[in-house]
Amino acid sequence: MIRTRFTKTTFYRNIVIFLALFGPGIITGSVDNDAGGITTYSVAGAMYGYRMIWTLIPSLIVLLIIQEMNARMGIVTGKGLSDLIRENVGFKITFFIFIGLLLSNIGNTTTEFAGVAGSMEIFGVSKYISVPVVAFMVWILVVKGTYLIAERIFLIFSASLLTYVVSALMAKPQWNEIGAAIIHPGISLNTQSITMVIALVGTTIAPWMQFYMQSSVIEKGLKIKDYKFTLIDIVIGCLMTVVVAFFIMVACGATLHPNGVVINEAKDAALSLEPFAGRLATHVFAFGLFVASVFSATILPLATAFYICEAFGFETGIDREWDEAKEFYILYTGILVISAIIILIPKAPLIAISIWSQVLNGILLPVVLVTMILLINNKRIMGSYTNKPFQNIIGWSAVVILVVLSAALVIMPALAD
Amino acid sequence: MTSLTTFYLSSIIGKEVFGADGDAIGVIKDLLIVAVPSGLNDPTQQLVIGIKLKIGKEVKVYSFKTFRVVKAREALSVTCINLIKLGDEYVNNGLHLVENILDKQIVDLNGRKLVRVNDVRLVTLPTGTYVVAVDIGIEGLLRRIGISIPIKRFLSLFKINIPAKFILWDDVQAIDFSNLNIKLSKSYAKLHTLHPSDLADILEDLGKKSSTSVFSALDEEQAADVLEELETHAQIHIIESLPIDKVADVLEKMPADEVADILDEIEDEKAELLLREMDTKASQEVRELLEYPNNTAGSLMTTDILSFKPELTVEDVIMELRQKKPESPELYSLFVTEKNDKLVGTFTLRDLVISEPQSSLDGIMKSEPVFLYDDQKVDDLAEIISKYNLLAVPVVDRENMLQGMVVVDDVVEDLINKRRTNKR
Repeated sequence: MIRTRFTKTTFYRNIVIFLALFGPGIITGSVDNDAGGITTYSVAGAMYGYRMIWTLIPSLIVLLIIQEMNARMGIVTGKGLSDLIRENVGFKITFFIFIGLLLSNIGNTTTEFAGVAGSMEIFGVSKYISVPVVAFMVWILVVKGTYLIAERIFLIFSASLLTYVVSALMAKPQWNEIGAAIIHPGISLNTQSITMVIALVGTTIAPWMQFYMQSSVIEKGLKIKDYKFTLIDIVIGCLMTVVVAFFIMVACGATLHPNGVVINEAKDAALSLEPFAGRLATHVFAFGLFVASVFSATILPLATAFYICEAFGFETGIDREWDEAKEFYILYTGILVISAIIILIPKAPLIAISIWSQVLNGILLPVVLVTMILLINNKRIMGSYTNKPFQNIIGWSAVVILVVLSAALVIMPALAD
Repeated sequence: MTSLTTFYLSSIIGKEVFGADGDAIGVIKDLLIVAVPSGLNDPTQQLVIGIKLKIGKEVKVYSFKTFRVVKAREALSVTCINLIKLGDEYVNNGLHLVENILDKQIVDLNGRKLVRVNDVRLVTLPTGTYVVAVDIGIEGLLRRIGISIPIKRFLSLFKINIPAKFILWDDVQAIDFSNLNIKLSKSYAKLHTLHPSDLADILEDLGKKSSTSVFSALDEEQAADVLEELETHAQIHIIESLPIDKVADVLEKMPADEVADILDEIEDEKAELLLREMDTKASQEVRELLEYPNNTAGSLMTTDILSFKPELTVEDVIMELRQKKPESPELYSLFVTEKNDKLVGTFTLRDLVISEPQSSLDGIMKSEPVFLYDDQKVDDLAEIISKYNLLAVPVVDRENMLQGMVVVDDVVEDLINKRRTNKR
């Protein structure tokens, strides 16, 4: 008798499970292709043609390994990464990580608003209108608590990132050259190209993503038996990130690089596409940039405020009143307002800000990674779900490579002088 | 020197202990107090009994009796007359302030929520050293990175105070016991003072391991109340992480309709195992409820109802209620049935109270009551309840036999859930 009810609902339940489980990886992957990412990929494509595309492969592997670790920690412990760090690593390191995270994310959010400003300027809207309007709408969206609906709408819109595939195909790239460039990876040992490699890796694997991934896994209430689905979700998310990055680099590499066009911003990339790929390609590129920027400008300040409050033990959550969660709202509003104001200052050193926030990311990433690997290998925390040897090997190699690259970046100019 | 010295845990950890001859003995790693409360307001449960020292490369726990904490001109010093090893029984059952409290989440029993501990405040009296309160404020955070005093001085120039936030030790409950061989039900004793729905909120915010261990420390009655209040994914986590027989015992204490709702969410095999483990009467009721498709009156109703024959007097009914001592939702509405459980009328507690003891039920009952069919789809239940000012609506099958009732609590809960999903 009992069977009948269960089987009736099985189909419905499977769909619900499907929808409930798919998300964390895909959303994290989409937020990853933010204004900063699009800029870096465009600049890399314009400057080096197809020669930097190979970096996406190691990035993909590291990204997969890291996100899997976050998902596993979230599923097994039910605790956020900031909780785990605070409880197990000591307060001083926690303090360092979260102050770093705060500063680098103010920088990142600034980059998102630069993306909003740049893309809207292509459509003829002044940044003095677009930036305040977007900042205010994002703020209202979160404070009024309709954030979760917004997240879903953005997710659908993030499909517009696939427009970069269209842009790239319109640019008629030379596929055999791309293939050759991937098969024979190379890096010239100079400051400029090392900076570019770090920037590419840094924008693909940003420290705040680890916190975001782990929290969304918990919010979904995922269980260890769902692990298979979560893994698929992560793979799809990471592939999306890398595929979009690939096509942006191809688009810029096919059009701008052979013609020696030098760009500094994603907006420049969109504009420079016009003579080679047509006006439509420019608009398509700009639209993708706009959606990506707004999406990330919504999530970044919110996530940052959330993790800092979690780690420091302040009340959090958009369902609380201003008085109940003062620190949370002050942080959230502060990050948004500061980032928006920086963009509106005439002649603000935007390039310096984006470089510095990436350098901060670069320093923070190994620290967060080391903490994560230590946490996930702790039997008291993870029980029988600690890392397998190959995961540790890839994780530690990533740490070593990142540290060596960052160190090289600091040392090389000193040697050159 | 005063007889009263207050100090913070963070300012003593990592400090060196000096012997009577002034030589350094070792570095302080942790302090221990008795974990299991011997009764509320008992000062001995706040007494520091042990100290974990790192001497050379070895870390050992010693009795605190021979240690003294002295504050001279704002500087703390710790001295020790001689080292006495603390018995294993105390070490294993003790609460370690750094390991179990500092930086961990604890329950603030007055605020009824989880808070994170930034520091612990202690006091040394002639009778010993005691834990006084936990610091959950910003000042504690600043103290941890060593910039509390300069920042306070700087802010005082602008007449701004950093508000201190302390919770008295009596009002906190530690959650994170890494030394799990201690007796949890006693260690979590203070949680029994909380309302089940507050406790449920706290469990939802805890990590998986802690929420399971706190839940299993509750007695069956309380566990049933808490499980009822938990959100679905937390319910599933609890059910899947505890042994089947333990879960079955808890489910037996819950109303059948709530159990059916939970079992509907978990895997079929697990649900079947649980139903077999539960006692036959309880599981039979649940099975019947599970047969109703979602969103019908039958799937929402409770089967815990009270029905009486029409010829009974008011006095008979009151006597019977006194004997049965039913839960309050069962009294929302009382029913009159003829043979074969055919529903003929309803009456309320008010009707009983205001009527003469000798009047019979068919005289005071409301005949031809509003009712629902068990297989009827109910999308507008809230409207029916509000239109007729009801606390409960009877549910009958197509033969007019009374099956159960839908109570207003479940309707409200259903409404809130719907609103929440819309908002999301």
